[in-house]
Amino acid sequence: MIDTFVPPFVPVLVAALLVPFLSRRTGHALGAVASAAVVPYVWLVATGAHLPVKLFGFHAILLNVDPFSTLMGLIFGLIGAAGVVYSYASDAENIQTAFALGYVGTSLGAVFAGDWLTLIFFWELMAATSTLLVWHYGGKAVRAGFRYALAHGIGGTLLLAAIIWQFAETGTFLFGSVPGGPETAGLAGSIAPVLAALGIGVNVGFVGLHAWLPDTYPRPHIAASVFLCVFTTKTGVYGLYRVFPEHGNMAVAYMGGAMAVFGAMMALFQNDMRRLLSYHIQSQVGYMVAGVGIGSALAQAGAFAHVFNHILYKGLLFMTAGVIVYRTGEERLPKLGGLAREMPITAGAFTVAALSISGFPGFNGFVSKGIIISASHYMHAPLVTVGEFTGLQVLLLLGGVGTFMSFIKFGYYAFFHGSYDGTVKDANRGQAAAMVAIAALCLGYGLYPEGLFGILPIDVTTNPPVGHVYTTYTMSHLTEGVALAVLGVIGFVLVKAPLSGLGRVPDVDAVYNRVLFYGTRALVVGVTELYAAVDRVVVAAASATAGVVRAPDAVAGRLLGDTDSPVSLRADYSTSILVVAVVVAAFVVAITAL
Amino acid sequence: MTDLVPFVVAVPIFGSVLAFAAGIARPKTGWPVAAVASLAQVAVAGVLAAATFGAGPARIAYVVGGFETPFGIELVVDGLSATVLVLVAVVSLGVLAYARRAGPRSNAFYAIYMLLVAGLSGMTVTADLFNMYVFLEITGLTAYALVAAGEDSRSTVAALKYLLVGTFGASLFLLGIGYAYVGTGTLNMADLAAKLADADPVLAQAAFALIVVGLFIKVAVFPLHTWQPDAYAGAPDTVSALISALVSTVAAYALLRVVYTVFGAGFLDSTPVARAILIGGAVVSIVAGSLLAVSQSEIKRVLAYSSVSQFGLILAAIAIGNDTALTGAAIHLVGHAVMKGGLFLTAGVVATETGARTIDEFDGLADRSPVAAGAFGVLAVSMVGVPPTVGFAGKWYIAIGAAEAGSWALLAVIVASTLLTLAYFLRLVERMFFRAPATVPADGRSDGAETPASSSTGMYATVVGATVCAVALGFGAFVYSTQMQATLTQLLS
Repeated sequence: MIDTFVPPFVPVLVAALLVPFLSRRTGHALGAVASAAVVPYVWLVATGAHLPVKLFGFHAILLNVDPFSTLMGLIFGLIGAAGVVYSYASDAENIQTAFALGYVGTSLGAVFAGDWLTLIFFWELMAATSTLLVWHYGGKAVRAGFRYALAHGIGGTLLLAAIIWQFAETGTFLFGSVPGGPETAGLAGSIAPVLAALGIGVNVGFVGLHAWLPDTYPRPHIAASVFLCVFTTKTGVYGLYRVFPEHGNMAVAYMGGAMAVFGAMMALFQNDMRRLLSYHIQSQVGYMVAGVGIGSALAQAGAFAHVFNHILYKGLLFMTAGVIVYRTGEERLPKLGGLAREMPITAGAFTVAALSISGFPGFNGFVSKGIIISASHYMHAPLVTVGEFTGLQVLLLLGGVGTFMSFIKFGYYAFFHGSYDGTVKDANRGQAAAMVAIAALCLGYGLYPEGLFGILPIDVTTNPPVGHVYTTYTMSHLTEGVALAVLGVIGFVLVKAPLSGLGRVPDVDAVYNRVLFYGTRALVVGVTELYAAVDRVVVAAASATAGVVRAPDAVAGRLLGDTDSPVSLRADYSTSILVVAVVVAAFVVAITAL
Repeated sequence: MTDLVPFVVAVPIFGSVLAFAAGIARPKTGWPVAAVASLAQVAVAGVLAAATFGAGPARIAYVVGGFETPFGIELVVDGLSATVLVLVAVVSLGVLAYARRAGPRSNAFYAIYMLLVAGLSGMTVTADLFNMYVFLEITGLTAYALVAAGEDSRSTVAALKYLLVGTFGASLFLLGIGYAYVGTGTLNMADLAAKLADADPVLAQAAFALIVVGLFIKVAVFPLHTWQPDAYAGAPDTVSALISALVSTVAAYALLRVVYTVFGAGFLDSTPVARAILIGGAVVSIVAGSLLAVSQSEIKRVLAYSSVSQFGLILAAIAIGNDTALTGAAIHLVGHAVMKGGLFLTAGVVATETGARTIDEFDGLADRSPVAAGAFGVLAVSMVGVPPTVGFAGKWYIAIGAAEAGSWALLAVIVASTLLTLAYFLRLVERMFFRAPATVPADGRSDGAETPASSSTGMYATVVGATVCAVALGFGAFVYSTQMQATLTQLLS
């Protein structure tokens, strides 16, 4: 254990600043080392380490180490290093890797924050750096990047509103778990958590708020996708846990279930590889959101276990998809096929990752998804029950079937269906190294789940803290895993023919992009037309006034119907005296009669 | 100290007679005599004001000729009358400095000039209603004569119109006094105030109506203002400045005196129509005066209609009738006199130097006559009511008074008056500073009616002095308002 006051984002951000000025090889080496160094560093830093500072004049904590942030730091550092190695091997430019390292660093800043102000500070920086990462690729990524930035701007603002509400309620930005923080953890009041859930909902891809995700992630550089798929959504899950740290939230839990099913279903409709994987991010994050929403110790442990595992296999999946794009230049599944023979390493890595994400026994996804499903089975007041299953559990299991189906589809069309014309080289050495290392971890944590349990913030193998002790390999769990796989195969065979005739399936963004576009246009046109109308009225009134001012007697003549001769408006002697007489008579009558 | 009070009337009368007499012996002796008399007048007024605002009693009274109060003519100096007294003395001295070069130069002119000062001072200090009428007539007659002092026929016509309408107003004033006398049997203001409450209300109301309408004419409240633009525009520049600065001002002071000292705040409260008529006159004057000012093409007529609008503000303050508003009325009386007198004098300087008398001819004045253009600009800005000028201070107190009284409609009109004032002065400022001058022959105006002459140091000193006062007095407004508290408490009790 070491005592420290240096937040782990510091070396990564320093590396990000240096990378653009170094050679490609040195720069990427530095980035990989800086990111990898975070792993042993956060592993060794004692829980409870603190760095209180003043940020914008408020008490803030730049470094707050507890088991949750440690877990996030470990996996962020690990995947960051693998991503940099993969970037180097995939011909990424130094400046792109610098943006990526900035993204990694700000994410680390967010998860090691000890207060809401620091969290939102890094949260917004994360959105900014990731937007730059998307934009850097140019082309279609630029417009997608704008939509991405807009979505995250709105989400960040909602979260900021919640945080300001929290400050108004409690008078401090600090988390409940740090010394000097408020008595109750999470956000105070009844409005702030709703605002925060919606704001974070953009980041984690709540159904309806998710459209930026499949819109953005398929478009940038293949290495950029590897970074993007990891940090934003997972930091979102971590933030959601900070909002609901104790009892969860049933609506959030069911939203997680809905995400799991919706994401998997939409994924099944996709033919673009990275777009398919993007919908799976939503689906998998749904499991984590469900875990946080259930709020029991077992569910929270499951959620963070799934964060850890998911980052491994989803990073790996984007790497394999990236290698296919890198070697063939082709993004769409129907144009591929028979690559298993051409690219055995990639096919192998993909198989490991696909089985992991689908939760097949022996792979890491099986372990963490199992914990969440188990927690959903034992959840308190489940709203709906179907037989001996809770409603949420049914949703999560359905999501599992959908996941199997879509990865059978991916694997079938990319690697096993038909044969590829010509020859394709397999992944290069750097790509292979990154992929094999991550694949090994996927398999390792699947076969040896105790290794994962050791770093979880909550011990799932003893009671307490968890009410129902979790054992990975029991007969019922194995049956469940195999059953899902069998259902997935049957399902794929049934839907294969109709799916192949399916075009692009519109998502909610088809509606709100239009609404936004035409709404904005209507607003602009409305404002300019209103301005023009007001302008016309003002100009007319001004010229009429000017006419009266310039020639009042002529105007008076026109009013009296005599257009030729102007009327003299100056009172002569007799008129003056008459006016005085009339006024005094009126005055005297008024004052004495009334 | 008390014995000094009659001298505020005696000194200018003596000066007037002396100027006239000296003229018989030797021409062109009028100015020095008038100057000495004016200096003495400033001294007397200053001493009285110092006594009133100083440690002594807030009210200095003197009864003329050894009689006792209800019967003898009483002269009273309190904070309000001391303010107007100093204003009259200082402005008449300043205008005199300007008149040395600008003329008219006859001894008769200076004799009438000092007689006007006597009339104004008398109206200010008298505490007897009939005596006020006498001084009002002296003021009026001398003013008609001064307007007629111009050399062209236009001033004669204007003076005749002024004479007819003004005499009609003074007659109404006298008629009102008659009703009040019938109702109470007294003419002393304090005595009247005590007895009017028990008098026949119809007599009191008729008296109020006649006196107020009579003074409305003198103040030039719309639509009884018809004499005023002609008189101001037709008179020589010196006379325009003096009359615009003092005559309507003292008439407005007399209105304030009559309403609050004679009839009292209680009368306004029990006769809502009376207050409604005051407010109505104020609103109509503010709006109509400004609009008419905008539509003028001659500078002096713009300034004349501007006075109609500004006296609407003072009338509004009188109608509101709380401490704050009446403080504002006093400040704006002084401020308007300084600003409007200064503007007329500046217009005179401009006309003397460049021959420009219409708005169009003011194009690019800043290049041709920079000092005059600068002074005119500052005075105009002050008239609009930009802080920290005295124009702002007066409007500010009146507006606050309206807000305190809850007269939101009136407050809106008062605030709008700032915009209306901006409408006619901004036009001039824009022309003076931001336009190139029209092609004018090098020797001045093409018709040769007036040949350009140089302005004297005295003319410049007066103009610059008025400009400096317009800004400096704004800073003294707060101190003044605290000094006025005692007088106002007495006035409103």
